[in-house]
Amino acid sequence: MARALLLLRIARYPPLPAPPAPSHPRPLPPLLRRHAPSAIRFAPFSLPASSVSTSTDASSDGGGGRKGGEEEGCGYVDYLGMSDEELMDQCEMGTFKASGPGGQHRNKRESAVRLKHRPTGIIAQAVEDRSQHMNRASALSRLRTLIALKVRRPINLEDYTPPVELLQILPLKSTVRGKDVGPQIGPNNSKFSPGMQALLDLLFAVEGSVSDAAKILGLSTGALSRLILSDDSLRTAANELRASKVSRKICAVNIYSLTGEYHITHSKHYI
Amino acid sequence: MLSLALSSRPLTFLRPSRRKPTLHRLLLPKPLATATASASALTPLTPRFDPNSTSGPDPDPTPLFLRPANHPVPAAALDAFRHRAAALVPPSAPHLHHQLRWLLADAIAAGDPSSSDTALLRAPLDDLEDMWQQHVGCRRPFQYVVGNEHWRDLVVAVRDGVLIPRPETEAVVDMVRKVDGFADGWWADLGTGSGAIAVAVARELGPQGKVFAVDVSEVAVEVTRLNVQRYGVQDKVEIRHGSWFEPLEDVKGKLMGVISNPPYIPTDDLPGLQPEVGWHEPKLALDGGKDGLEHLLHLCEGLSLVLKPGGFFVFETNGNKQSEFLVDLIRTKWSSSFHSVEAVLDFAEIKRFVTGYRR
Ligand SMILES: C[S@@+](CC[C@H](N)C(=O)[O-])C[C@H]1O[C@@H](n2cnc3c(N)ncnc32)[C@H](O)[C@@H]1O
Repeated sequence: MARALLLLRIARYPPLPAPPAPSHPRPLPPLLRRHAPSAIRFAPFSLPASSVSTSTDASSDGGGGRKGGEEEGCGYVDYLGMSDEELMDQCEMGTFKASGPGGQHRNKRESAVRLKHRPTGIIAQAVEDRSQHMNRASALSRLRTLIALKVRRPINLEDYTPPVELLQILPLKSTVRGKDVGPQIGPNNSKFSPGMQALLDLLFAVEGSVSDAAKILGLSTGALSRLILSDDSLRTAANELRASKVSRKICAVNIYSLTGEYHITHSKHYI
Repeated sequence: MLSLALSSRPLTFLRPSRRKPTLHRLLLPKPLATATASASALTPLTPRFDPNSTSGPDPDPTPLFLRPANHPVPAAALDAFRHRAAALVPPSAPHLHHQLRWLLADAIAAGDPSSSDTALLRAPLDDLEDMWQQHVGCRRPFQYVVGNEHWRDLVVAVRDGVLIPRPETEAVVDMVRKVDGFADGWWADLGTGSGAIAVAVARELGPQGKVFAVDVSEVAVEVTRLNVQRYGVQDKVEIRHGSWFEPLEDVKGKLMGVISNPPYIPTDDLPGLQPEVGWHEPKLALDGGKDGLEHLLHLCEGLSLVLKPGGFFVFETNGNKQSEFLVDLIRTKWSSSFHSVEAVLDFAEIKRFVTGYRR
């Protein structure tokens, strides 16, 4: 199956409450605002495993400052645990070519689909499949990946045990991975996303330190690095977390939605 | 070639000469007053294909992706074709580049060309070249060239003479699925064309469920038969050749639902259609007569006779104007027969469908 070509706009975590009334109408924002993924610039992980030892440089001096109550105790919704239909219900679906009368008038295989996930503002889009239906399926699975990559849930490191979704994507040699967890799930499996989300939550909690995360997961730093490198988007997101160590701050972020409204939320945000 | 691909009309000498004469339209008994009226109202579109043309044999009507893979070619030759073909279309036309990929996806049976010296194709390279030329040069719809359209999760076989199912229409199946107890009901897909809707609905049905797929076009009946077979839903789809409700005498009052995407383009609009549509797709599938409403009105009139009480209907329309008109009409003129009549938006937010229930 052709992999969907995607153009994305990204909203930052944490999950937003449902958008308030669009009281600040705005012109449609440009395609990518400044939150474009910035990964490659910082790319220690873009090189083969030999360079990942630099990740120890990023080792954290504790998660201070990031659990300062700014998450406002809102329940963290497990979006990835939802069925496709439930997730779809939270989305607005749009397509691009609304010009012209369509239907029988037209022969255009522009069956692109754009899904906007209302609670998070994340947008996933797929254009390359040959049918509308399949594009929707691609966009939905892409949305799951994006949620995993972009929606961070806080972890309390003091009493942390890795959730089973995370254990499932770990290599078998992990010492915290019980026998009953089953075979390792790889990036091409649809169950990879929830594990990836949990892994990024952990990396976020340890301020991007792969070695710290590796310890918690009962792996060598090298083994965890290899897992991270096995998937491009995971690698990129992990790089962003590491980079954030350099210039993390809490600030107000405008999150523009497609329809032009925006809301302000307190959120962690990397420059 | 570039400008030819984008805007110019096909030159006569490029015109595909192997078209199958669409005799069925002329030979059919004239069924109903409405159908007859619109058939005679058909305006010929340019260019017309000469039904008596004898130059060249009929093309293999088997869709490319279903043909036997017995044409090994050197990977380098395939690659060269890919480049030649890509050079015919400008980078600014991404959909054409997608289509080139799809053409190759349908043609290549085995041998990832990047990793082996030979690729196994379902047609000789010359034929592929010709197919591509027909598409970008003659504006022959890509779907007719390769003989299929991907629609929902189906690969629907199509050929000249049947309408290529549209992405908008995919939503009809979802509406049907939402009807209470749909799975065990009897459904009719009127004007089934390729059979896309009928097959997609049939695949969702339970043991008691059934779809009557009706079309007046013989080509449509043939293509529907192929698609029904390909998806193994012969026991769920009953194909009936004839005009609208005529072949359904025996199931009057028994249908849980009627689905139709009838021809709805106003006759006056036909000459202005996109070449792929106006020059190549059957007028019988497009021409809705004056205001495009002729068949839709006929369908509305017949509905209450075939639907059982509580039965559902969904019609596709030309858009806002027709949908609003029909909703209004049914609500006022036939309010005693129908309820919950409404216009439903398509993905481009156009009021594309009219749905409702029989009382
Ligand atoms: C717009 S096409 C729809 C085809 C298919 N249902 C789809 O959605 O792709 C309309 C179909 O109605 C058929 N048709 C036209 N007049 C008809 C009539 N009087 N009775 C039955 N079918 C008719 C045409 O042959 C054509 O297949």
